[in-house]
Amino acid sequence: MQVGIRSERGHSIGLCAIALLVCCSGAARADDASAWRDIETKYIFGFTTGSGIGLEGEKEFTVDTIARFGKRDGHYAATETKYEFEFTPTQFIQVEFGALGSTHNMGGVTALDDRSQVAPSGAFAELRYLAIERTSNNPLSVTLAVEPTVRRIDETSGERVRNFEFETTVNADLELVKNRLFAGFNLLYEPEVTQTTIGDTQREAKFGGSAALSLRIASNVVLGGEVWYLRHYDAANLTAFTGDAVMLGPTLYIQFTPKMFMTAAWNTQVWGREVGNPVSLNLAEFQRNRAKLKFAWEF
Amino acid sequence: MWFLKNLASGALCAMAMLAVSPSHAQQAAEVQVTYSRGQFQPGEVRAPADTPITFRVKNLDAKAMEFESKSLRVEKVVAANSEGVINVRALKPGRYEFYDDFNEKARGALTVQ
Repeated sequence: MQVGIRSERGHSIGLCAIALLVCCSGAARADDASAWRDIETKYIFGFTTGSGIGLEGEKEFTVDTIARFGKRDGHYAATETKYEFEFTPTQFIQVEFGALGSTHNMGGVTALDDRSQVAPSGAFAELRYLAIERTSNNPLSVTLAVEPTVRRIDETSGERVRNFEFETTVNADLELVKNRLFAGFNLLYEPEVTQTTIGDTQREAKFGGSAALSLRIASNVVLGGEVWYLRHYDAANLTAFTGDAVMLGPTLYIQFTPKMFMTAAWNTQVWGREVGNPVSLNLAEFQRNRAKLKFAWEF
Repeated sequence: MWFLKNLASGALCAMAMLAVSPSHAQQAAEVQVTYSRGQFQPGEVRAPADTPITFRVKNLDAKAMEFESKSLRVEKVVAANSEGVINVRALKPGRYEFYDDFNEKARGALTVQ
C-alpha cells in the first residue's frame, strides 16, 4: 500500500515537473529572446563552469557554498564555502582568490570519526584564460583555468591536515540557440597531496568531465541539467584507480538585478563503483548527493 | 610535489604568454558614439576586423550611464556630460551588441567586417 502511495506521489511530482517545464517553455516561446541582452555563461550550468570570464574592469564578490550529503552508513553532511573576490584585469584573463570555511556534521560513518565542527579551512586562488572566444559567427567558447588551494581541514573527514590541491579545468560552452539554449562541458584534473597530523602523506587525484544543458526561460532565469562522470585515483599521475561515479541533477540561475545573481544546483549519484568492493554506488570517495548555492554581487 | 610545482609554473607561464596579444601594437580604429536622451547615436557602428578598437562614448545626458557589452567584454561608467574611452581588443568579424547597463532600453551594435 505504501509502495502504491509512494508511486502515486512519484507520478504526481513527475507530472508537476513536466507541467512546469511545459509552462516554462511556453513562457520562453512567448518572450522575444532577440530582445534579451547577452548572458554571462560562467554560472548558468550548476557545478559545470561556463567559459565566461567577466568584463574588463569588473569586480565581483561571491559566497559559494558546496554541500555534500550521505555516505554508506551513519549520517554525513559537510559544506565548504568560498568567500571569493574576482576581477577581470584584461579582456582575456580573470583572477579570483579568497578564503574557505567548512562545516562537518557526521556520526556513525565507517572510517570517519564522529564530528560536529565549523572552521576556517583554507585559501584558494584561480586564474582563468579565455582561449577561444564566442562571436556571432562562432558559438563555441573555451576557457582554461587553474586553481591552487591550500586547506588545513580535510574536505571529507574534517580532520586537521595540510592539504594542497591543484585543480585544472577546461570550461567550454556552446550557444545552441541565440540567447536561449546553451550546452556546457568541463574537463577536470585535480591532483592533491595531503599530510596528516601523524605525518602520513597521501597523494590522490580526481579526473572527469561533465556535460550540461541550460535553457534561458526568461531574460533573467536559466533552468537546466547536468551530468558528471568522475574518477578517483590514489596517485596524482592517474595510475592507481580506486573508483568512479556518475552524478546527475538540475541547475538554476537567477539574475535578480544587473549586478546581483544566484546559482543553485543539486547532483545525486546515480551510478558508481568502488574497486574491490562489490556494492552499488561509490560512497567511499564521493557522496550520495551534493548541492551548490552561490550568490554574487558585481561592482 | 615537484610534479605539482612544475604543472603550476608551466600553466602560469603559458597563460602569461597567451595573454600578450600581438594586436596591442597595432593602430586602433576609432569608433565614436553619442549617448543622448537615453539612446545611442548612431545605434549601429562599424569597425574593421583584426584591428584594436577605441570607443569614444560621449554622454550628453544629465546623468551617468554605463557602457557595457558582454561580447566585447568591457564596461565603463561615463559620468554626465563627459566622454569615456574604452579600448577593445582586435575583433573577429561579427556583430557585437552593447548597451547602457543603467537603462534597459538603450542598445546599440558594432558590426566588425
